[in-house]
Amino acid sequence: MKYVDEFRNAELARAVSAEISGLVDPDRHYKIMEVCGGHTHTIYRHGIKDLLPDQVELIHGPGCPVCVLPMGRVDEGIAIAERPEVIFTCFGDMMRVPGSRVNLLEVKAEGADIRMVYSPLDALRIARENPDREVVFYAIGFETTAPSTALTLQRARKEGIENFSVFCNHVTIVPPVRALLDSPDLRLDAFIGPGHVSTVVGCRPYEFMPADYGKPCVVAGFEPLDLMQSILMLMRQLDEGRCEVENQYGRAVLWEGNLKALEAMAEVFELRPYFEWRGLGFIAQSALKLSADYADLDAELRYSTPGVRVADPKACQCGEVLKGVLKPPECKVFGTACTPERPLGALMVSSEGACAAYYNFGRKSFEKVEIGSR
Amino acid sequence: MNDELTLLGNCTLDHDGCVVCSDAGIPVRVISIKGDDALCEDAAGTQTDIAVELVAPVTVGEVLLTHGGVAIGKVGT
Repeated sequence: MKYVDEFRNAELARAVSAEISGLVDPDRHYKIMEVCGGHTHTIYRHGIKDLLPDQVELIHGPGCPVCVLPMGRVDEGIAIAERPEVIFTCFGDMMRVPGSRVNLLEVKAEGADIRMVYSPLDALRIARENPDREVVFYAIGFETTAPSTALTLQRARKEGIENFSVFCNHVTIVPPVRALLDSPDLRLDAFIGPGHVSTVVGCRPYEFMPADYGKPCVVAGFEPLDLMQSILMLMRQLDEGRCEVENQYGRAVLWEGNLKALEAMAEVFELRPYFEWRGLGFIAQSALKLSADYADLDAELRYSTPGVRVADPKACQCGEVLKGVLKPPECKVFGTACTPERPLGALMVSSEGACAAYYNFGRKSFEKVEIGSR
Repeated sequence: MNDELTLLGNCTLDHDGCVVCSDAGIPVRVISIKGDDALCEDAAGTQTDIAVELVAPVTVGEVLLTHGGVAIGKVGT
């Protein structure tokens, strides 16, 4: 399985599907969580669910950084963006995440200078080109994205660019997974580990899953057969009574990760004592802030953000969906008050959010269940 | 599409989803090197500058995995 054609080969997919079915204990229900939003997207887009036996259920994890950002942090970003001296920069999907009053797109329409960037390095370039303005980058993302922010801050420091700062909302993958494993209302059998986060952090951080919780984990790539093969590897572990971390995505992920990226992150960031996650509450040491050496480039300090806490709208059940307690269509406002065009909850914003992925690609199977249950 | 470039999937620089949320890694080939940046090309032929400090040293022709304008890995390393 080396090339993309092979990773999407229907015949191979059917063979893997049959092998998975052969390993299923008919009296058992298997719950496998894919931690990463990219995997959720692949699962819906390619109909992976339809290739699995009924006993194997995929639970969508908290791996979309936009989706897990609490509303208070959105509001604080908006407050910075509204300052007249500021050019506010962020990734595209961040623009539509609802704050308590408005989103960044609406603030932009009202006249704020908000610019969508593809890379934090683009934000630094804007700072270089606008020395009389303050440029703020709204940093979000797991360990895949954090190295690009770290590298950008290192370059800002090296070039002596002072009109640049970062509003840091980077989060780490292990603490929320541990929180989910500690959650009494969720019973999981195994995990599909995030592929590109693991390019940076490697496979070692997941060793607590088998060691402390007795749950197998397979780090997976993003093509349909990557996921099918990973599910097969997990089913083999469960069938054979093995419990370990395996790496299906060996063509991109080293066991020890990218040491240079980890060094850059260690220089620029430090762990926050705690951070609020939408739906999961406060989780200790689950997010990054700028280290003392980079405090002068920290937008949180430069603009004295107050750290407000805003409750989600009552109708919104993103929290339950994030924890895998509810499926997206089981939310009271799914597809009615909350749609990708007018999202109420963050899970409907990003195309990788479980609700948006389900809305765009998964409704056919939902309708089938609905009709069947009448 | 070049076979080696597709080793890491078929994501390209005009990826239509959220680069961050989808944990997207875009495979590109190094065309030329300029200090800490390299001009790189994706499978669709689109070219852009990529920061390569985190995977240094790189050589022309190598395939890198990139995210948000920064190379975070190499194929098969």
